[in-house]
Amino acid sequence: MKMADGSTILRRNRPGTKSKDFCRWPDEPLEEMDSTLAVQQYIQQLIKRDPSNVELILTMPEAQDEGVWKYEHLRQFCMELNGLAVRLQKECSPSTCTQMTATDQWIFLCAAHKTPKECPAIDYTRHTLDGAACLLNSNKYFPSRVSIKESSVTKLGSVCRRVYRIFSHAYFHHRRIFDEFEAETYLCHRFTHFVTKYNLMSKENLIVPINVGENAAPGESEA
Amino acid sequence: MGTNSGATAGINNKPVGGATGAGVLVGGGVGGANSSIGGVLSNSLGGGGSGGLSISGLNAGGQNANVGGMGNVGGDDGGNGMVGGGVNNQQATTPQYTIPGILHFIQHEWSRFELERSQWDVDRAELQARIAMLLGERKCLESLKSDLTRRIKMLEYALRQERAKFYRLKYGTDPPQLNEFKPSNEDAGLAGEVATDSEVPYSSVSNTTWRQGRQMLRQYLAEIGYTDNIIDVRSNRVRSILGLNNNAEHDGSGGGLGGGLGGGTGGENLSPNINGNESNKRASETEGRHTPAKKVQQSIDEIIVDTEAAVMANFEFLGATEMSDDDEISDDLEMVATDNDDTDVKLAKRAKSGKDMLTEEVDGSLGLGELAQLTVNNESDGAYDANSKDGTGGSAGGAGYRKTWNAKYTLRSHFDGVRSLIFHPEEPVLITASEDHTLKLWNLQKTVQAKKSASLDVEPLYTFRAHTGPVLCLGMSSSGETCYSGGLDGNIECWQLPSPNIDPYDCYDPNVHSGTLEGHTDAVWGLTTMQSNIVSCSADGTVKLWSPYNKEPLLRTYTASEAEGVPSSVDFVRNEVDHIVVAYNSAHCIVYDTETGKQVVRLEAAQEMSGNTGKFINKVVSHPTLPITITAHEDRHIRFWDNTSGTLVHSMVAHLEPVTSLAVDAHGLYLLSGSHDCSIRLWNLDNKTCVQEITAHRKKFDESIFDVAFHATKPYIASAGADGLAKVFV
Repeated sequence: MKMADGSTILRRNRPGTKSKDFCRWPDEPLEEMDSTLAVQQYIQQLIKRDPSNVELILTMPEAQDEGVWKYEHLRQFCMELNGLAVRLQKECSPSTCTQMTATDQWIFLCAAHKTPKECPAIDYTRHTLDGAACLLNSNKYFPSRVSIKESSVTKLGSVCRRVYRIFSHAYFHHRRIFDEFEAETYLCHRFTHFVTKYNLMSKENLIVPINVGENAAPGESEA
Repeated sequence: MGTNSGATAGINNKPVGGATGAGVLVGGGVGGANSSIGGVLSNSLGGGGSGGLSISGLNAGGQNANVGGMGNVGGDDGGNGMVGGGVNNQQATTPQYTIPGILHFIQHEWSRFELERSQWDVDRAELQARIAMLLGERKCLESLKSDLTRRIKMLEYALRQERAKFYRLKYGTDPPQLNEFKPSNEDAGLAGEVATDSEVPYSSVSNTTWRQGRQMLRQYLAEIGYTDNIIDVRSNRVRSILGLNNNAEHDGSGGGLGGGLGGGTGGENLSPNINGNESNKRASETEGRHTPAKKVQQSIDEIIVDTEAAVMANFEFLGATEMSDDDEISDDLEMVATDNDDTDVKLAKRAKSGKDMLTEEVDGSLGLGELAQLTVNNESDGAYDANSKDGTGGSAGGAGYRKTWNAKYTLRSHFDGVRSLIFHPEEPVLITASEDHTLKLWNLQKTVQAKKSASLDVEPLYTFRAHTGPVLCLGMSSSGETCYSGGLDGNIECWQLPSPNIDPYDCYDPNVHSGTLEGHTDAVWGLTTMQSNIVSCSADGTVKLWSPYNKEPLLRTYTASEAEGVPSSVDFVRNEVDHIVVAYNSAHCIVYDTETGKQVVRLEAAQEMSGNTGKFINKVVSHPTLPITITAHEDRHIRFWDNTSGTLVHSMVAHLEPVTSLAVDAHGLYLLSGSHDCSIRLWNLDNKTCVQEITAHRKKFDESIFDVAFHATKPYIASAGADGLAKVFV
């Protein structure tokens, strides 16, 4: 429902809004957002407009604090990864995927526990997302959403590394789910671009070939 | 010229002197200010605490200062001293300086004094306001304490009577002397059992005697005629005062208790005792609502000092569990007894406290030794009441002790706005639903170690994942075992709640997600439960009634005419079985009979129907006990409707921006509302006044607060916001 109320636009999802109209309101320029959540609003607005336009979504506005920009993007990734987790829950069970693996090279240990544990893939997925949610919302490391401590920015890299394994597990073990999800959200595509652009993960860890739909040839991720 | 300036200087000083004379407490500070600016600074610092007080108070204080100054012309040493100093100065400097120079100097000094004086006036007014506030607080405590003491005495008296009766029945003679009564085994037994059950334990003693006694006392109190309101308020007070630490008691309210002991030695609130012909009404007025005292009541101070010893003695006997102090107490009791015989209204106050005791405590704690249980009882059955009641102590007849809700827990773990939250019916557990597609389970008893701030962080115990879009609404079964969530994806998911002590990083249990109710073809925006049924409303235009664990869960679908538009919110009519109330886009509510599917009544107000575009209803809730429906509107109003006639009962502008959410507490006394203006407000449903406003959340786009909730049995309220946080207030 468009909230055009006279001259002022009220960006609200009132009860009864149809799902196709959810968050469907005219874009608000970042400069006009006076909220502390402006960056999140801006990112979500870009994704809503066109999730496939990864370049635009990841283009940092001028005068934007890079720490906050990275932080808000990572929040958005973790949030959208819930969608992948929901799909995986239906198929990925502790009996079929006893360990968190992508290729046969590594078994990933779940870092949510006091001593890292060899959790089944679905538990690893859930624990990692829950742990990321706690960390990214931690009052200790991220007390503010308008400025991020330098020491906390370094935490973002490890979160990226962990959540990326969810993509890789889905890609190598639940390809159908991965493809469906990716076709809808372009999430892995965006994520790969994101970590590469901001140098949050080393290239050799990015084992999921992106542009799966377009480039049949699986290779290293593009820059 | 010289005389002139001298006169002005004198005038300048006098009001200051007057100020020192008038304000007892302020005196020291102002005196210091005469000689140094440091004094002024310290004054203003001291007054800083009361900065929030009303401006009118300040003005009044300022005026008082001036009047006082005029009255006390020349009456102050400090003032005189200053004038003298000024004159000396003048004489000494005459040979060296020109007249204009002197004049200039004097003028300069004068303006400086003027400035300082106004500063002092302000400071003094602030401090006076603060004194008034503190006095008021102290008076609350005093009256609290005196009530408590009276209550104890009544208890004792009742116990004594009962014992006498018991003795009579048992031995057939009058009890020889009160002192010979030893706490028997029965008493000890009572002490143990009373806390758990108020009725049962007496069967072992002598049911009939106890009952007779109780009956008698009840009758007596019924004659006096007190309402249940007062009882609640009193129980809160007792609870609060027993919860206080000893220091506070001794410091703050010795006078009240002393007054009670001495049969009314001082203080406004004890006036019924002093003035025998004071009317009942007056009595409740004086204690029901303390007005900020305008003058210092020195007498009270004195009384406090005088009676402190007595107070202490009294508290010692309170603490003692045996009846060794019988002698002393019996004196007091005799006093009470005579009062009781005399049925004059002047004793209303005393009797009032007795009534409290009778109706809610007499059943359980007839012995003074059970004082400790008095608190326990109150806590167990009235903890919630106490808090909510205290919120409006003033209007409900309390002594102005106001419970204010403070943010205690911050629930941060959602990545996007929290659309809905719901409390477990019994446990300190709640579930939040967010636009980040998840629900989270929180246990308020599992907090992260305290940070610098006063509020605690809670980490979620469990994340419910099944929705493929934002989760919009929540419902919970009355047992607290099952929870339902409606989402933008059009599904209603059913969840079995994991244990509130689950390890957050436990293995995934697919059985937690116990089913999906499919049927809506668009976003599910409203969901509420009643017994085993749930009703949901959706953007597809329908309202559906479900019985989630039936083979065919969908029981019925209700569709309104096209003109009504899409339903935005739904609730069961709580006092009428099989009725639901649905709010539509058209800004009307319709009450349906769930059995027949027919429209029972339509809530609309003829006079308000013109231009209903802005009246969009964001939320509808049904009063838990009365046939009243409450709606939250986009036009900032909250409206109250009569379910039987369908008419508008009351309409009020409640917030600065659209009202988004409503919740009524389980007793139907308080209403909580949330709005996009970032604040939640607590309303007294009785007189529709706002009791408290709390700014709770930040805005995301033009949205702020999505949901508010009351805990059904514990003193918690909560709010959920677009900023991804949920907050719990205690």
